[in-house]
Amino acid sequence: MTETIELALKTLEAQLNQPLETALEVCARCGICAEACHYYLAEPKVEHIPAYRSEQLRRVYRYEHDFLSRLFPAWTHAKKLDEVTLANLSEMAFSQCTLCRRCTVNCPLGVDTPLMMRAIRAMATAAGTAPEILVMLADSAIEKGKDPSFYKDMFLDQIKDMEAQLRDITGDPNATIPVEKQGAKILYVPLSGAHTILPPAIVFNAAKEDWTLSIFEASNYGVFLADMNRAKAVAKRIVDEANHLGVKEIVIAECGHAYASYRWDVPNWFAGQFDFKVRSLIEVLAEYIRDGKINVDPTAITQSVTYHDSCNLARNGGLIEEPRYVLSKVTTDFREMTPNKAEALCCGGGGGLVALAEYTDRRLEAGKPKADQIKQTGAKIVVAACENCRLQIGDLNERYQLNVHLTALTDLVVRAMRLPKPLPGQESEHLFEGEKAPIVRE
Amino acid sequence: MLLIIFQLLALAGFLAGLYGIYLRYAETKRRVLPADQSPLKGNPQHGITYAFTLGMMPWAKESTRIHMIAYLRGIGFHIGIFAALGMLIISPFWGFLPSTLRILIACILFIGALLGAAGGVMRIAERNLRGLSLPDDHFAVWLTTLFITVTAFGILNEAMRIPMYIVAAITLVYVPLGKIRHCLYFFFSRTFFGKFFGRRAVFPHPEPIR
Repeated sequence: MTETIELALKTLEAQLNQPLETALEVCARCGICAEACHYYLAEPKVEHIPAYRSEQLRRVYRYEHDFLSRLFPAWTHAKKLDEVTLANLSEMAFSQCTLCRRCTVNCPLGVDTPLMMRAIRAMATAAGTAPEILVMLADSAIEKGKDPSFYKDMFLDQIKDMEAQLRDITGDPNATIPVEKQGAKILYVPLSGAHTILPPAIVFNAAKEDWTLSIFEASNYGVFLADMNRAKAVAKRIVDEANHLGVKEIVIAECGHAYASYRWDVPNWFAGQFDFKVRSLIEVLAEYIRDGKINVDPTAITQSVTYHDSCNLARNGGLIEEPRYVLSKVTTDFREMTPNKAEALCCGGGGGLVALAEYTDRRLEAGKPKADQIKQTGAKIVVAACENCRLQIGDLNERYQLNVHLTALTDLVVRAMRLPKPLPGQESEHLFEGEKAPIVRE
Repeated sequence: MLLIIFQLLALAGFLAGLYGIYLRYAETKRRVLPADQSPLKGNPQHGITYAFTLGMMPWAKESTRIHMIAYLRGIGFHIGIFAALGMLIISPFWGFLPSTLRILIACILFIGALLGAAGGVMRIAERNLRGLSLPDDHFAVWLTTLFITVTAFGILNEAMRIPMYIVAAITLVYVPLGKIRHCLYFFFSRTFFGKFFGRRAVFPHPEPIR
């Protein structure tokens, strides 16, 4: 047995807890999960059935753990793990599954296929067969956490520029983007890029929130690698920052995997050192609108709008009704995709797929069911509250000529706030047809 | 006397199967169950209740709405299996059952067996199922179908009771060894499903915010 295989098997053993063993044992191979997978919908072949995919790991598991399979491997197609099998498993787990869990909710037995795909990803990462770009992105985030001073001055300069834009857009000379504010109530964790800082800053200022901006970004590529050590190291930067500032709450930008991991996983990784609340910006928007902390014009957006449920936010995160509540307050023509909410189709961009250029074609083909779904709504605006989903739907927009305008939820709320000036890149020529222009105050 | 020997054989099969399932259960319980310390949004208990009740309804999932006939076939087959198992356990007391009831139960078992056989044929005839199926799957579906069938015949005809006990013994011994052991993991799986989605307020479906 080579060192690579030994590492992979050791990683499998280390992960073998009750839920994983159950997922490996329970499947009846009824195939009813087929249409739950967007890969299968896009290209209906046996290899794209979730049960088939998880079967590839089961074969290895059976060879190691099942009495009958060790005696008669052919009876259960048990297989000894070798380099080729590991490479195939790795390719499958990183390129043919977005970990969306749509198969799980559609399985009569509740088989958690993404759990098995994560196990494979972890095995591949440990054995060094995971996509390099994901490893690099995770490692660079960890490095950034070790010495933030390296880029902090540049970051603060950018924030100063953004603050000027913020004042210009809102017409409020006192509007600020506080960074490292000790004792603030909220630590807002953006993604990289001004588009996830400026609109929320507008909202926080309008709501007179006691907030501060994180110097780190929310995305966590360690999660995509299913590498607990890397994922923890990336998350630790923000946990430490929150503890250091003494905030009461972390608010995560519109990002599916970041929300799911900080809301549902990180409290387990840092049990005892984690006594703050985690919310998504979506929940905060819903609260502000409901409590009247921000004013939105319910007739501001008259174009038809549809909402894409990010798998990590909705099915895996429980944020199902909050975005719909927000949309009900800022749009006049909202159209649901079918299916939606917990049954929503994955767009195909999750699980780190958008970062893997080598699988672009496969990703866009697998996104066709989502493109068709968007087309069927006839909506002109697609709202996606996840950065990776927005990137994927943007690509689908181009590939399948959907002719839709893609936007984040916060951007739509900001539009409905009808501020003196629009967001950068959304000036009058980019206003949707029928949308009311900002209120110009003298 | 001969019948008693085969009854004992079936009993031995039953006990062996039960012990095998217990070993599987103990093996799984020996593994770590990660404690979830993330703050609740929903209710894991409600999720578990949903997973075993409304969540199993044919209309609850897109997949079962699409494959309604196949799902109901599977349900019917499993009703047949459990009815046959129940009848096997009380087989020494069949004489106390009214003949109409016995005929009725035998009919239910025949329907279950027919649905099982349909499943077996589908595993060969249908492209996806053929691609997914292992020798273990084919064997398991035909073995359980045979078990239901001979139990139904055994209820109606005393001469079929010895074959019934033989098939029952083989089936029961095979339960923990092969695919049939999913009957144990079903309970684990639906519980984990309910806990996961219940905690996150995904299932039962949340009410719209007013």
